[in-house]
Amino acid sequence: MTSAAESVAARQARLPAGSRSDESSASRRPVEPIPPGAVPVMEAVGISKGFGATTALVDVSLKAYSGRILALLGDNGAGKSTLIKILSGVFPPDQGELRFNGQPVRFASPGEARTKGIATVFQDLAVCELLSVTRNVVLGREPQKGVSPLKWLDLRRADEMARSALHRLGVRWERGLDERGINISGGERQSLAIARAMFFGSSLLILDEPTSALAVRQAGRVLDHIAQARDQGQAVILITHNFRHALSVADDLTVLAQGRVAAHFRRDEVELDDLTDLVARVA
Amino acid sequence: MAQGLDDASAGSGPSRGAIWGEAFRRFMLRPESTALAAVLILFVVFTALSPQLFPTKLTYISIMAVAAELGIASIGVTLLMIGGHFDLSIGAVLGLTSYVAVVLMRDFGISPIIAAPTAVVVGAALGFINGILVVRFRIHSFVVTLGTMLIWRGVLIALTGGFPMTVDIPPLFKDVMAGPLIFGFRMSMVWFLGIGLVGTFLLTRTRFGNWVQAAGQNPQAARNLGVPVDRVTVILFMIASALAAVTGVIQVARFSSVDALRGEGMELQAVAVTVIGGTLLSGGYGSVIGTVLGAITFGMIQVGLVLAGAPGHFFKTLTGAIVVGAVILNTDVARRLARSRPLAGFRRNSAAADAAILGEAMPGRDGVDPTTAESGEAYREDKQ
Repeated sequence: MTSAAESVAARQARLPAGSRSDESSASRRPVEPIPPGAVPVMEAVGISKGFGATTALVDVSLKAYSGRILALLGDNGAGKSTLIKILSGVFPPDQGELRFNGQPVRFASPGEARTKGIATVFQDLAVCELLSVTRNVVLGREPQKGVSPLKWLDLRRADEMARSALHRLGVRWERGLDERGINISGGERQSLAIARAMFFGSSLLILDEPTSALAVRQAGRVLDHIAQARDQGQAVILITHNFRHALSVADDLTVLAQGRVAAHFRRDEVELDDLTDLVARVA
Repeated sequence: MAQGLDDASAGSGPSRGAIWGEAFRRFMLRPESTALAAVLILFVVFTALSPQLFPTKLTYISIMAVAAELGIASIGVTLLMIGGHFDLSIGAVLGLTSYVAVVLMRDFGISPIIAAPTAVVVGAALGFINGILVVRFRIHSFVVTLGTMLIWRGVLIALTGGFPMTVDIPPLFKDVMAGPLIFGFRMSMVWFLGIGLVGTFLLTRTRFGNWVQAAGQNPQAARNLGVPVDRVTVILFMIASALAAVTGVIQVARFSSVDALRGEGMELQAVAVTVIGGTLLSGGYGSVIGTVLGAITFGMIQVGLVLAGAPGHFFKTLTGAIVVGAVILNTDVARRLARSRPLAGFRRNSAAADAAILGEAMPGRDGVDPTTAESGEAYREDKQ
């Protein structure tokens, strides 16, 4: 474990309870047991991946269920991003298998994973800076009018889609839908990306560090929106290095260390201090 | 920077002066405003310099003839630049496709009705090569098209042997492409304005246009959302080269000839026109209407200087000064205006203002610049 990570963990552990304003109270719900017989939306079985001489992942397994948030924790270099890339179809695993709704799958491209309903939201890639909110929401799925090949954008319908996507996630959007991406805060970008993914019918939402660059209040809001997505039946994989954020919304937690699954908990089985201790020990 | 965006709206309604002021401020923030200002100012200056000659119909016809040929090629360059790429090869493509049109008509006796579209298709194919090289090998388009520019120019010199080639053009075809049919204005102006309208529609009102802007702003994000960025890029290169070929065909119709130097230098003039028109050199944002006005600016300088009796070399100097001035206006002044407080409690709401600020925050356009995300963040934070 590096000293930097140690100090982060120590700082987080030392925070008094009153200062935890970024834990959204709404998202704290009792963890329900996984119903017997439930089929995970996404299951990774014994995934291994290496790049040349380096081994990124060794025998990693996880399950993401509809209506549950799986937090993926781990230090830098633990293999989190390799795992996301495998889950979202950027490259295939060397060994092991992905099962999507119980069926073995092999994604040829990120596009194929996306078509199957796997939406990945990267921290820096949530919006295009100079497109409006509406155009950002519908990007890639723009509604059109006219007859092929002469088709044009149905801008009114696009506005409706953007509005209902935001409404469905409970995002309060007081500014106009013509606001440009550059004026949208980091937190709002994440919420917008989640709203877009849900609106276009994703069944698995993979969020890469959605709260890491955010101010406290904004992080809380994004966590609320993640919980909202979960409550509407999304399977969510939340990648984060913030244990408190993970504990505030996740139902299950998987800790990766040096490419392996170091531990797996249900949220009510673990406390913040245990988690920081564990990560400090294994990393 | 952002304080007081919404707070002033608490008072009574804005005064009439404030409404006009805000309207003016917003207009100045539009990408086309610099080019429009350049057109108006040059008009006044040249009219003052040669009051007898400049404000005449003959002059306007000449200006539009110059603007049309350069402008058609520049529209392709504009769309490509908004999509985040350069094309230095359009001048050479123009020359080579002109050669194709001339040879098809002269040596094969093919009707111009077939030869002209064939030249445009050859242009699109040359653009396809540029696009594929950029997309497959991830080489910067500047380098790729610098290479293809030299290659096509070399091929053209070899094929023509350096000598001009003339061809007999049927009068009807000449008229349709470049004839003085519209109250004395050349038909090329109609093609120019028509292509300008189609280009504007394509950019602002179609799915493809949305993808072009997204690809120019944040290619990774666009790709992640399912936008086929590579295909968009290749199509943009094809459009740029095809439109260069259209200019080539118009020039063949006008001159009834082609020579080894045809189109040389046009690649940089097109960039200048595009930049005067308010398109960001860094991509992601721009205007075809601005480019149309930029091309008219070019035509005015060229014709106006001749009429004013200025020596030929003034053309390049003045054009250069206007390009630099336009870029300063489009970036620095727009940035300052964008940060200036909107009058009478209007919300800050201007794409150009955002582009100006983003242009400052985004020195390179490949990949993601972390400062962009941060600047947006900071902006929201002090607003709250």
